[in-house]
Amino acid sequence: MTTTDQSDLATESISEYVSVRIGDQLFGAPVGAIREVFTPTSVTDVPLAPTEVAGLLNLRGRIVTAIDARRRLGLPPRPADEPGMALGVERGSEIFGLIVDSVGEVLRRPSAELEPVPAHVDSVWRSMVTGVHRLDTELLAVIDVAAVIGTAAGKEAA
Amino acid sequence: MDDLISEFLTETSESLDVIDSELVRFENNPEDRAILDNIFRLLHTVKGTCGFLGLPRLEAVAHAGETLLGKFRDGELSVTPPMVTLVLESIDQIKVLLESLETTGSEPEGEDRDLIKRLEDAAMGRSADAEAAAPAAPAAPAETPTEASEAENGFDQDLGRELRPGEVSLAELEAAFQSAQPDEGMAPVEASAEETPQEDHPAVGEFDPALGRELRPGEVSAAELEAAFQAAEPDPGMAPPVSITSDMSTEEALQTAMQELRGGSDDNAVGADGAPRVQQTVRVGVDVLEALMTTVSELVLTRNQLMQTVRGLEDDDLKGPLQRLSAVTGELQDGVMKTRMQPIGDAWRKLPRIIRDVSTDLGKKIELVMEGQDTELDRQVLELIKDPLTHMVRNSADHGLEMPEDRVKAGKPEKGTVKLAAYHEGGHIIISIADDGKGLDTKRIGEKALEKGLTTHEELSRMNETQIHRFIFAAGFSTAAKVTNLSGRGVGMDVVRTNIEQIGGVVDVSSSAGKGTHFSIKIPLTLAIVSALIIGCNDQRFAIPQLAVRELVRVGAGSEHSVETLNNARVMRLRDRLMPIVDLRECLGLDGELDTEEAAGFVVVIDAGGRNVGVVVDNVLDTEEIVVKPLSESLRGVSAYSGATILGDGSVIMILDPNGMAGEIISTMEDEATADAAAAAGNEMAQTQRLLLVRAGGEEPKAVPLSLVTRLEEFDPSTIEVTNGRDVVQYRGRLMPIVPMGDQIQCAEGQRQPVLVFAENHASIGLAVDEIVDVVEERVDLQMSSDREGVIGSAIIKGKATDVVDIAWYLDQSRAADVQRRSTSGRRRILLVDADAFARRMIAPLLAAAGYDVMPAGGMHEVQAIAEGEDRFDALVGDPAALERIHAQGLWTDLPTIAVTDWPEDSGAEGLTAVLPRSDRSALIAALDQVSQGEAA
Repeated sequence: MTTTDQSDLATESISEYVSVRIGDQLFGAPVGAIREVFTPTSVTDVPLAPTEVAGLLNLRGRIVTAIDARRRLGLPPRPADEPGMALGVERGSEIFGLIVDSVGEVLRRPSAELEPVPAHVDSVWRSMVTGVHRLDTELLAVIDVAAVIGTAAGKEAA
Repeated sequence: MDDLISEFLTETSESLDVIDSELVRFENNPEDRAILDNIFRLLHTVKGTCGFLGLPRLEAVAHAGETLLGKFRDGELSVTPPMVTLVLESIDQIKVLLESLETTGSEPEGEDRDLIKRLEDAAMGRSADAEAAAPAAPAAPAETPTEASEAENGFDQDLGRELRPGEVSLAELEAAFQSAQPDEGMAPVEASAEETPQEDHPAVGEFDPALGRELRPGEVSAAELEAAFQAAEPDPGMAPPVSITSDMSTEEALQTAMQELRGGSDDNAVGADGAPRVQQTVRVGVDVLEALMTTVSELVLTRNQLMQTVRGLEDDDLKGPLQRLSAVTGELQDGVMKTRMQPIGDAWRKLPRIIRDVSTDLGKKIELVMEGQDTELDRQVLELIKDPLTHMVRNSADHGLEMPEDRVKAGKPEKGTVKLAAYHEGGHIIISIADDGKGLDTKRIGEKALEKGLTTHEELSRMNETQIHRFIFAAGFSTAAKVTNLSGRGVGMDVVRTNIEQIGGVVDVSSSAGKGTHFSIKIPLTLAIVSALIIGCNDQRFAIPQLAVRELVRVGAGSEHSVETLNNARVMRLRDRLMPIVDLRECLGLDGELDTEEAAGFVVVIDAGGRNVGVVVDNVLDTEEIVVKPLSESLRGVSAYSGATILGDGSVIMILDPNGMAGEIISTMEDEATADAAAAAGNEMAQTQRLLLVRAGGEEPKAVPLSLVTRLEEFDPSTIEVTNGRDVVQYRGRLMPIVPMGDQIQCAEGQRQPVLVFAENHASIGLAVDEIVDVVEERVDLQMSSDREGVIGSAIIKGKATDVVDIAWYLDQSRAADVQRRSTSGRRRILLVDADAFARRMIAPLLAAAGYDVMPAGGMHEVQAIAEGEDRFDALVGDPAALERIHAQGLWTDLPTIAVTDWPEDSGAEGLTAVLPRSDRSALIAALDQVSQGEAA
């Protein structure tokens, strides 16, 4: 998935991102990588699961594994009273739900403006952020959705 | 990939599998024309299709193979194993080409000239084998239109030239298609069609009016098919017929070929009786079935949800239709489940060929017996066990069966048998693979296990055979002395076990030396929908597969059962057995701790790895049919779960894996069980003693090891005489001294005096007792040693504290007046090693009484200490195991070594001077005497 994202960025002049907020940071998830956006409800806690697995939930009859983006990015946990939003990501036959704090509008940025991640950014972030767009007021970190989900599935080692 | 090609690949590979097994059958029954016709037709079709699809390389190989087969069929060549091997080789080559076709979408570059040349040579009778073999089969009757319509290498009018070897004329092909036409009628018919009576319709070999000729084996008459349709349609319990549309009607000829192909592969499903049988099927894509299954699963869930919602309502208008919906959904579910079922024979198709290859490669004679091919199981499960099964059968043939000459030597028939059987047993399918070979080599497995560090000497010595045999399932374990190209790469049985356990199955082995090995596999029928117990724990719900649940027990206030602790380990008494208990909370790392005192709730007794383990849960909520969904990648590492499911109310819950849950407990239990078993075995055999309980000089019983007593006698008190200040009786023509065990001989007039007779070196000594009470067999645990003379110590026997009598002391007493036996020869020193304290105590005094100095040692460290002390010994006496260990450490290897054991026949005599039964005291002393005399001489 990483490769397709990059080729998308390379071949198209405009990239579309779903803007999401995780902690204080604004992130952009490539639109093509997201299947849908939904509100996670009645998430079943899974004892003994890796910490980034927020639980399982039923999305129209399919079991979705909810991955907490904050955990993956090493951010403090979300306050209990904020359920957050979920980005549905299909991978193989499975659906993952990436739980973020909130989802904003779709942003369109020229692909050429994507700048590489500065070298001194934390290596965990660097493995999941493909680049940075400078918006007027803040920075938009473009995330590699597959990588954010993927490490949870132990794919990083592979 | 081109649809045509992919369809061709699927069908052809199935046909080839059939050809494989049919050829093997044919080799054994060269006279069976039906089999040959079948093979010929299948290969012919493969060839034909290749031609249409423009696959010249495949076509050429198929051509050449077919030509050779044609010679068999026409009786021009007789069937010999090298010939069949050659044909099989061509089949293999076709498979290789197909594989490449599948991956690259085109035929690989290159030619198969060599193979084709050999096939042609064979067909022309040029190979040595072919020349040697005279044509055996009579010339075939002109039964099929394919019968050599043109002469060999004859001129073909359609082609305008002579036929090259391996080629078939167009006319012949046409004829073949013509003959295949009736198969086109094979459209959707459910399997139930098989049950329809068939007497009314032409049977094989009978004349079929619709066809205008006789039916050939494997063919079905149109009337019969019609009847099958009729029978199949009204069946109400059946799921709606599924059909697929075929969009491959590009060339009519191709379709014909496909039809023929299809008919061929179906016809050749081999029935239980080994004869080809007619089976009507529809080919449906696996993905279609899977999608259907998913949809039905959703439907079931929605139904459950609806039922739950309506349960609280009083609306009768709703209830009626809902009930019906529920019933129909159930039927639909059953129907769809059935479509997933496949006979296990499908997984066995490749086996005859594999067995044949093994037997040719290794020069063994092997018969493969298959039973229960019709046993059905879930497709998914079938796929998963295919490889393990193949591996195991191959193993049995390769490692299990001996070479023919060895078999004959062992008095067995030259031909070995590998028997494969499958049958249903309560929601499971049992597959057994048995061979009548040499059995597992327990010793080698033991050695290998030690070598691989899987166990220790000590553990090994305590294991029984079956436990040792189970090491073959351990990772990286292979005992095959040499690695053959078939098996023995050491990745075998552990992979088999892992695969089987992955689908919730169990595999076990039993073997008896010289008789054979038997593997049994137990696997669930289906993985998709299971009945589950929904339990609550810490406000969360979990599902436990019903199959694993043995029973439910209520614990806590008001219940007769309660959870108790034993050194922090939780146990529960259930029907006089202690059962280990795990707390689900703890297993899952949930908050809160089980308060054993207050524990109230349920204990779910589960079967975890064949053992009962109790799992404490808060609540038992419901049982529900759940659809097992595989675990997400992120959760696969958590062993406590086997999957997840969506309940009727739409919530997601985890399915607990019994084995995973109790994993830790099981592993410790296995260790304990091993120890228990060893201890139990030890109890029964090594450490129980038969004791004679007597009373003498007091009310309390005294015990004498029965093995030391030669005879029990009763004498009339009047016959006891006194000579030289000692009591004696005349016994068997000699005078036998009598020593009272109590203070004195007390015997009332008219009663007979019980006497224990000990015989030693032709002299007998009697020990007078007041009463012989009983003979008991018990484990003797000397708890107190005694300073009193004549008593070794005390033990609890039959619940009573009992003195164990020191016979040697009494014997000494009786001999006190005798000349000291060895006053002159100097006392010899003996090291007595026996792990059993009781044995040490019994033997030491005996040896001492016989005039030896005895140094007892209980364990290896004691022996080491003695060795360091550099004491000099004249002989070693002890139990064989201990002696072997001493020798293994290089201690006293030059000394005479006498082993005493309860089973002298079981002990290897390596490095031992003699092995004597423990009970034969005089033999021991005689042996020692002999040894010391030998030294003196």
